[in-house]
Amino acid sequence: MTCEELIAYLSSYIDHEMDAALVAEVQEHIAHCRNCRVVLDTTQRLIVLVHDEGQRTIPAGQRRALFERLHRAFLNRPQTWDDSNAQASEGNTV
Amino acid sequence: MGLHLSHESRAMPGPTIDLTIYENEEALLTGLRRRDPDACACLIKRFAPLVYAQAMRLLGDADEAEGVLQQTFIKACDKLDTYEGRSGLGSWLYRIATNEALMHLRQRSPRVDLDDVAETIQTDEMPQRLTPWTFDPATAALNSELRTVLEQALASLPETLRVVFVLRDIQGLSAKETAAALGLGESAVKVRLHRARLRLRELLSAYMQEH
Repeated sequence: MTCEELIAYLSSYIDHEMDAALVAEVQEHIAHCRNCRVVLDTTQRLIVLVHDEGQRTIPAGQRRALFERLHRAFLNRPQTWDDSNAQASEGNTV
Repeated sequence: MGLHLSHESRAMPGPTIDLTIYENEEALLTGLRRRDPDACACLIKRFAPLVYAQAMRLLGDADEAEGVLQQTFIKACDKLDTYEGRSGLGSWLYRIATNEALMHLRQRSPRVDLDDVAETIQTDEMPQRLTPWTFDPATAALNSELRTVLEQALASLPETLRVVFVLRDIQGLSAKETAAALGLGESAVKVRLHRARLRLRELLSAYMQEH
């Protein structure tokens, strides 16, 4: 397997989408090729890093207004049949 | 187990609420269905940053991401009475947000560069930077500078590659699910994911070499 072929197969290898014969060829190649080993290792680190990637913070200037709009929209949502039913049954128990 | 305050709750203002007043998501859901203002504040504080982050990554535009954030919570309000609680509130909101953001993407006028949808790796995408990364991914995830670099690198990807990367490697959807969500074939999803990973690896390697 050449370096170009390994790079082409890299994601399939990482995602376990290769058959056993090709996996063996990849492993044989990276055992002897330092550069491809680095590319494999750094790509795997990238995937681990992004998997639980931190949350983007809402811009500070917008937070309060956004919170209030969301809060209002939530509380003012239209009454549904289930709501009125739930309130009626609560009323019955008092 | 209670709903404990976590770092993301600091991202949203609003009344100071002891989120542990809700013993679990079921109690929070009951509060939401009763229109308890504390339950509503709790839901927004807890999940708005997550929803916004996903919208921002997919759309790369702050105004559109804010629109998706609002639409997600409004849609969640509408569907609250039919939500069965199988997947957890966070996953449920995340899914609504993803669908909303994808709808925005579909409504955009197409601005696709042919190079961005190429089915093979481009010559300039072959790895150039071959320095090992020394960091431990578990602790590096907490490094805010690195996170900023990562978000910037992600934002610099063409939309066709970024969206696939976000759904597959950040959200954790399968190739099949991603293909269905985007109306693509699975092979196109795999090639785009691979190209996105190579480009991001290159961009992050540049940062790693300097630090």
